[in-house]
Amino acid sequence: MPKQEKAPKQPRQGRVKSPELLFLNEWASRQSKRYRLVQLLGIVFTVSLVVQAWSLANVFSDMVIEGAFSVSLLLIALSALLIRALASFGRERLSASASRSIRYSLRKKILSHLTHLGPSRLRIDEDAALSTRVYEQVDALDDYFSRYKPQLFMVSLIPCVILLAVLPVSFIAFGVFMITAPLVIVFMIFVGHKAAQANRRQFRVLAMLSNQFMDLNQGLAELKRLGRTGQAKQRLSDSASAYQRTTMGVLRLAFLSTATLELFASLSIAMIALYLGLGLLEQLPWDKGLSPVTLTQAFFLLLLAPEFYLPLRQLGNDYHAKQKAEAAATDLIEIFDTPLHTTAQAKSNTETSHLSVVKTHSTSLLTFLKLSWQEDGRSRLAPITNHISEGERIWLSGESGVGKSSLLHLLLGFEEGYQGECFVYDDAFSELDLAAWRARLAWLPQTPEWINGSIRQNLLLGIETPTEQALQEALVKSQCDDFVNALPEGIETKLTELGTGLSGGQMQRLSIARALLSKADVWLLDEPCSGLDEDTASAVLNTLDRASKGKTLLVVSHDTHPIKWADRHWNLTHGGLHEQSIEAIA
Amino acid sequence: MSKVSKLSLRRLLLANPWGFAVPLFLGVMASIAGVALLGISGWFLSAAGLAGVLGTVQAFNYFTPGALVRLMAILRTAGRYGEQVMAHEHLLGLLRTLRLWVWDQRVAKDAANLHQQSRGDLLQRLVSDLDQIIRWPLVVMLPWIYALLAYASVFIVAYLVSPQLLWPMAIAATLHLIVVPFICGRYASHSVHIGQILGTHRRGRFVSLFSALITLTIRGHWQAYSERLGQLDKRQKKAEVKMQQSISFGRLASYTITVGLLLSYFYFLTDYQSNTGTLALKTGVHGTWFVALILCVLAVNELVLPLAQSFVAQGQSQVGIRRLNQLRSTEKSVSATEQHALAAIESIELKQFRGYHASSGLGNKPISMTLTSNECVWLRGNSGCGKSTLLASLAGDCLNEGQALINGQLIDLYDNSAFQEKISYLPQASYVFQQTLAANLRLGAEESKDDVLWKVLDAVALGDWARTLPNGLNTLLGAQGRDLSGGQRKRLVLARLLLRNTEVLLLDEPFDGLDSDSIKQICHSLQHEYKPDILVLVSHISSPLSDNARVIQL
Repeated sequence: MPKQEKAPKQPRQGRVKSPELLFLNEWASRQSKRYRLVQLLGIVFTVSLVVQAWSLANVFSDMVIEGAFSVSLLLIALSALLIRALASFGRERLSASASRSIRYSLRKKILSHLTHLGPSRLRIDEDAALSTRVYEQVDALDDYFSRYKPQLFMVSLIPCVILLAVLPVSFIAFGVFMITAPLVIVFMIFVGHKAAQANRRQFRVLAMLSNQFMDLNQGLAELKRLGRTGQAKQRLSDSASAYQRTTMGVLRLAFLSTATLELFASLSIAMIALYLGLGLLEQLPWDKGLSPVTLTQAFFLLLLAPEFYLPLRQLGNDYHAKQKAEAAATDLIEIFDTPLHTTAQAKSNTETSHLSVVKTHSTSLLTFLKLSWQEDGRSRLAPITNHISEGERIWLSGESGVGKSSLLHLLLGFEEGYQGECFVYDDAFSELDLAAWRARLAWLPQTPEWINGSIRQNLLLGIETPTEQALQEALVKSQCDDFVNALPEGIETKLTELGTGLSGGQMQRLSIARALLSKADVWLLDEPCSGLDEDTASAVLNTLDRASKGKTLLVVSHDTHPIKWADRHWNLTHGGLHEQSIEAIA
Repeated sequence: MSKVSKLSLRRLLLANPWGFAVPLFLGVMASIAGVALLGISGWFLSAAGLAGVLGTVQAFNYFTPGALVRLMAILRTAGRYGEQVMAHEHLLGLLRTLRLWVWDQRVAKDAANLHQQSRGDLLQRLVSDLDQIIRWPLVVMLPWIYALLAYASVFIVAYLVSPQLLWPMAIAATLHLIVVPFICGRYASHSVHIGQILGTHRRGRFVSLFSALITLTIRGHWQAYSERLGQLDKRQKKAEVKMQQSISFGRLASYTITVGLLLSYFYFLTDYQSNTGTLALKTGVHGTWFVALILCVLAVNELVLPLAQSFVAQGQSQVGIRRLNQLRSTEKSVSATEQHALAAIESIELKQFRGYHASSGLGNKPISMTLTSNECVWLRGNSGCGKSTLLASLAGDCLNEGQALINGQLIDLYDNSAFQEKISYLPQASYVFQQTLAANLRLGAEESKDDVLWKVLDAVALGDWARTLPNGLNTLLGAQGRDLSGGQRKRLVLARLLLRNTEVLLLDEPFDGLDSDSIKQICHSLQHEYKPDILVLVSHISSPLSDNARVIQL
């Protein structure tokens, strides 16, 4: 198709690169220096390959026919072999270190991205699953960057160089290579396609198996109580057997295609050997009594023949590396695709001027002016206008999905894509010294944030060590002292990942203690009572009432857990913010 | 493999010796055919060349070597194919065996220790460790045997050329097959071990830190904490460098040994002629065979090269096995007390009974009470007084102190499967499996017909909801019942328990998040067709059930 050839540079023409490949290429290009060096060594490798074949061929033929051969030729052959070894050593080291640099800097970038995402990282996945992406998935790129990528160059280089070297020696051998090479490549593509499908399916099924195992494992206590662990084992066994059967079916096919490829290579080598042998014996059916090649040339061709197919076969083996990398890249791209919300910044700045003029409550700690938040055309927070004075305690209610949590995340400084205005006294929120503002905050979410460690470590997380007396005071004020002191190891008891028998209410009390210790004067609470029964909830709210006197509070809570001691009650709806009187409810 | 036996690489091999032997045989065939292909071709070419020069073409039988060359080509291909298919078959079988082994280990754990390994850790073990281990025969064992046998066949060729060559061959073989892989494996194994430990540690740190991300960020201390995560990463990188180094150096060493071996051949078989500057073959050495030998050695070199890498992989498999063995439960004897079948439970008497959590020791105050047939008991108490813990230990899920008498007989309730067979316990956090609705229910009673399932769904006020599902009972429930609300999940698990039809029913907050109509419906069922002999209830919501119940204040 001549028309297509004329405009090869047209974008979107021909193969469209998948976002995964673009992503991988972009990261590979950061190590282009190393990869260029790798290519250079690849050229050295290929040249020494040909030199070795040529000198060995000479040594062999002289040895066979004359019984003696030149020392220098032998030395050339052996040193060419050694240079090959050194070149591939260098290639390995360089590609490995390129891959390392890429992976570790990629990981760093992902980590910092996740950090900036803050609470919205949970929109991608839960933390445990994110850790798999950050570690396992990033490492899954290794084979791609350290093997597949460099091999891609060799696959085109080695056969071309060998073809060039063979051309002046024998047209027939050149012809055999020329005919089989495209066949091999066609098969490669075919095999590659099949293998890719097989691989994808295998990945999916394997993931399903892991998932099934985890599911049964998580419900193991229930299974033991029901006396059904035997059945569960049977299920695991059945699905593993089924997996074995289906995978083998696919693999047989995939291997069969690889075997055909092998057969091409093997038979071509055999064919060339046979042709050369018969040629030397002057017994070629079409050329009796004539030798088309000398013995030296024959050896040369024989030595090069296996090398011609080797890189292609290797690439076939490494193909799954590409598959693996692409699968991993999909997951990693998803992380980067979760935006940091900086785009709307410019827009809000343009509105600053005229809104700043009309702002009224500059004596208030926080002032919202038509503050709203739209994302992907969907409204996450209706425009709200209100203010919070220092020391006010505000109860924010509203149905789920109306943007209560978004408002808190915004105040925490993790969301910047808002419209309208938010002021801390006279300063626009976007121009605030974020560190100084955050130092005033305490964050008490639905499930308190705990690290693996003792109660003490958790209470003092990220703050200066207070005096023992201050610590005890905080525990008393948050009514934690009773149960903490009842623990056999007291405040040094470890809070493991799965909890230690502390109830939800006790955990919430501990986070109140933590807020007290942090000396923060603005507390943001996101449904501190969800998951607690009524009695516990009201007890926690009472504690909160006593502990938070004098602080500025913004408490998100459903109507089912009314906060009667709040100074003001805001009800957030899709239409906006409505102030309601506390007395009406209480 | 027996249930609780320790894992080892040897045991893995012996788990299915035939599954291993067949691919081994095929692989050996393919490898030797590969070496022979080059050797015979070399000999054929040189002999043919010589015959052409000497003019003895007519006497030269070129059919046999020609056929041999083709045969070797086909053998090599067929062998490789067969090996790959059979080896993967074997490998997948191993994967199944290992998974089931891990499952057995988990089941053998007693209830309180069930969550000793956190979830992420278990996943890591499953995914990466099993992967490392099943690769072992393919990556380590088979290539080594191929290289060994290829060497053995080259020994024969070398002997035919000149018996002198056996010594250098033996030395090279020792270096190639034993010394280099061993040194590489040794050098790398420490790093492999460190790498694996760091991997787990790093993941734990990640989950722990990110779960407190906001608190740490607003305190302005995130930098310091995340730097420690970076430190771990750096150490991991170092371990990785060391591992890769040993592989690369191993390959380089193998290459050098091959060059040395070739040099020694020339030293033994040729004489230096200073006048022409050439090397001449010693008398009695056939040039044609010598060529074949050199080509064979070059082919063997290709087989030896992957060994360095494979022995680093061996280190990884061993570390994986060691970690999997940590899953083994050693304290099995504790719960293996005599658990003969119990008669129908008519009474439960508790004396100074106290349930507590193993990790914190928290639980209820010792209590004495007697529960008899046809009784409904409502346990009450302030938040944190240990109602749930008492109920869990009554169900044998939690450790206990004091005495429990069933039908007047002293019995250890903890992890006692004979006792658990007689009771049904609805915990606060109820678990729904990723199976169909029917399969989830049938975990309670396997042979239940569909109408029985519908009846029990109606009993827990889920019937109407289930009838709206397009797939009805065959609806697949999502991960952890994510597409179910908390109340639905709870009722589904309750329905499963009701199908068991046990004498004792222990319910922890069954009405949480339910509307009053559903509560009424469930209470009605529990008081009529699904009425247990003994019902113990923990609930902060009063219900028709609790109105008629004996109240016990904790």
